[in-house]
Amino acid sequence: MPIYLYLDRGTFVHRLHPTVKVFALFIMFWSVYWVDNPIALAPVGLVMLWLAQLTDSWPNFHRLRWLFAILVFTTTIAWMVFYRRGAVLVNVPIFHVSRMSLLFGVGRGIRLAELLAASVLFLSTTKIEEFTYGLQRMRVPYRVGFAISLSFRLVPLFIDSAVTIVDAQRLRGYDFNQGGPLERVRRYVPVVIPVFMGALRKANNMAMALEARGFGFSHEPTTFIEYPVRGADILAFVLLIGLGTLNFMLYWTGLGGIGPLK
Amino acid sequence: MKTGAQIVSVTPGPHAVWVDGVTFTYHGADRPALRAVSFVQSAGEMIGVMGASGAGKSTLAKCLNRIVPEFEDGDFRGSIRIAGEPLEHLRVCDVAPKVGMVFQDFESQLFSTNVAHEVAFAMEQVGMGRAEMDRRIIPALEAVGLRGFEHRDPTSLSGGEKQRLAIASVLALRPSVIVLDEPTTDLDPEGRAEVFELIARLRAQGLSLIVIEHESEELRAADRIMVLREGEIAADGPPSEVFARTDLLTGCGVRPPGLGHALKLLEIDAQAESVEQAYDAIVRAYPRLGATSVGIIADSRAPEQPATAESASIGSAFMEIEDVSFSYAGGPRVLNSIDLTVEAGDFIAIVGQNGSGKTTLAKQIVGLLQPATGRVTIEGKDRAQMRPAETAREVAYVFQNPDHQIFAATVQEEVAFGPRNFGLADDEIQRRCDEALEAVGLQNERQSDPFLLSKGERQRLAVASVLVLRPRMLILDEPTTGLDHREQVRMMALVRGLNRGGIAIVIITHTPWLVAEYARRVVLLRKGAKIFDGGVREFFMQDELLRSSSFRAPEITELSRRFGTLALTTDEFVAWVKGRA
Repeated sequence: MPIYLYLDRGTFVHRLHPTVKVFALFIMFWSVYWVDNPIALAPVGLVMLWLAQLTDSWPNFHRLRWLFAILVFTTTIAWMVFYRRGAVLVNVPIFHVSRMSLLFGVGRGIRLAELLAASVLFLSTTKIEEFTYGLQRMRVPYRVGFAISLSFRLVPLFIDSAVTIVDAQRLRGYDFNQGGPLERVRRYVPVVIPVFMGALRKANNMAMALEARGFGFSHEPTTFIEYPVRGADILAFVLLIGLGTLNFMLYWTGLGGIGPLK
Repeated sequence: MKTGAQIVSVTPGPHAVWVDGVTFTYHGADRPALRAVSFVQSAGEMIGVMGASGAGKSTLAKCLNRIVPEFEDGDFRGSIRIAGEPLEHLRVCDVAPKVGMVFQDFESQLFSTNVAHEVAFAMEQVGMGRAEMDRRIIPALEAVGLRGFEHRDPTSLSGGEKQRLAIASVLALRPSVIVLDEPTTDLDPEGRAEVFELIARLRAQGLSLIVIEHESEELRAADRIMVLREGEIAADGPPSEVFARTDLLTGCGVRPPGLGHALKLLEIDAQAESVEQAYDAIVRAYPRLGATSVGIIADSRAPEQPATAESASIGSAFMEIEDVSFSYAGGPRVLNSIDLTVEAGDFIAIVGQNGSGKTTLAKQIVGLLQPATGRVTIEGKDRAQMRPAETAREVAYVFQNPDHQIFAATVQEEVAFGPRNFGLADDEIQRRCDEALEAVGLQNERQSDPFLLSKGERQRLAVASVLVLRPRMLILDEPTTGLDHREQVRMMALVRGLNRGGIAIVIITHTPWLVAEYARRVVLLRKGAKIFDGGVREFFMQDELLRSSSFRAPEITELSRRFGTLALTTDEFVAWVKGRA
């Protein structure tokens, strides 16, 4: 199974200028940030669904389907405990099941799911080198940009290593599912320590290999791949500005909140 | 592999590398890792560096590109020049265009999502123009036999291809010297062969090479062999001279080449760099053998077999795999209708190229994976009905990397972790810990921090931590990877001892001499299918099978076959020769 999310599809989105793609990720996050209402979140959601179809990123969404489901479900449930406004529809101990808490909880769940979806779309269509280049063009120092993009490469490696470590401890009779929620978290210590030690070792090896390949020689390394700005990039940039503005207006007018739906 | 293009730059100055009195002590260490090391490497020379773990090999390599002392904290003394230029005051990245460094862990030295871009990475870092990068990428890929792979994702390459890509990426900068620090440790035989073929080609092109390696056979083609012992140069000379000093090599934790060792034990004063040379030398010393030997085995099904040290002591079926097939989600078949029986007291080596399904098969046995079809039974019980923890009391699995399980503050706590999970009483846990630590020779390290042990000790600790559950079968996934010869022998002596104590052993390995010396049965997997299951001698007679699996018999076995017999170890061969002489 591939451990990275990038899918080499060569679609129009894949061919966009890296700076536009990094900007698109920012706009998606921005757009989602301003609205709470599930209906107001729909435009961004629809754009993402369209992009997922266009870029054929469904395999990555399929891989993470359970994460999406858990995010929406647990967030909705959690907010029905903490968001205690609106008339109660059904009496359930601990929970405050009202139209408002339901809308707010579902809204928060969708919001998190959309943040995740934006990241999945970005990583499905953007290579690490493009990510670094995009950040560099946005005036992020090369070392910082490279470190950020490299961290995306490392996460799957650490997950892979964590899976092996969980297997190793299970084979020593360890049961990760004993006890309550806090106890279960505590029981991951025999995994966290080897993962952490492995990560340190890996990071050290990687840092040595990087420097041995000249990393740090120049503050402004040259780039092997050229990314010319095309008409499609300008169009995408304008559309993204529009999407960001639309969502900010939803917040500004109050249409993006829960209030008007009362 | 294709023949590479000539891309080596002209090395200015008389020496490629000039090292004078280099001493380095790591911060907090009580003794220097290198002591007054001095040597000179001529341009175009290949030096093989050998020695036990901790002898200073990697430290020396890191000194050559300033990782030591720039990256590693410590006290550095002495002087190094590359192509006449002193390295003092240079940063690691400044040295990159002069000294190319290839590390053991190929995963940690690839940073890009496309092969061409990976080769360009170092050139980008030193600010090279795009046109020049374009000119250098193809020749570098051609040199390592990866032309045509430009658009491939490096993660999709095999281990050998990844390591060759790492070499291409340093070649692109056209350094004067390339240092390879155990470049084949994590590779299967095919990957090893690819890398050493490439090293031979680079050497033929006149590139100055320093290669750190554990296996002496692989370094025969070097101009010089340098053996390090406790930070000092214990020997430095042509391979024929250094490899003839078998006592010195053994004392330095280096496995002497089997052929030279055999000649020495036979008291033949000759050097042998190939099976043919060794054969001729023995025939000269023992003419009677030459007259009777047929050169090839007349009947490969019934060779004349020397007495073996190991006699089969196979008992009843303990674990059975019946028609097991398996695929990872959405992927192709990884295991294809596998049948396998492990009997009590068995000692099996599972071999095959990377990706052939060896580890997946082991995970089926211990219950980490469930077969798509077929079943696994342990003592007649269906393993599907047993939890992994339950299986662990019958069949233990030692992962390739011991660091995948170590987490406790002391060795004692680490070993006690397993029995505690099974709720055993404290005195029983103590009894079992004593027994397990004694078995692996770590009884004096109870209170030591596991993370401060050597790799060999951590590997033995991993064995102790599953042995403490008193399993009846032990699976070890590449138990000697990354260990020096001394540690390998110690590890395998431990495994053999456990086997003699009645534990069935299954080792997954790429190392021919381990199979020859220790296993009694070999299972060969290819693309998820079992293509051989039989005795070790029978296995090493299957020339076509070995060739197609990129698995070579140990040289001593090949030599014995020239005499019409089949010996698995040097001692066995020497005894056979003396018996006939």
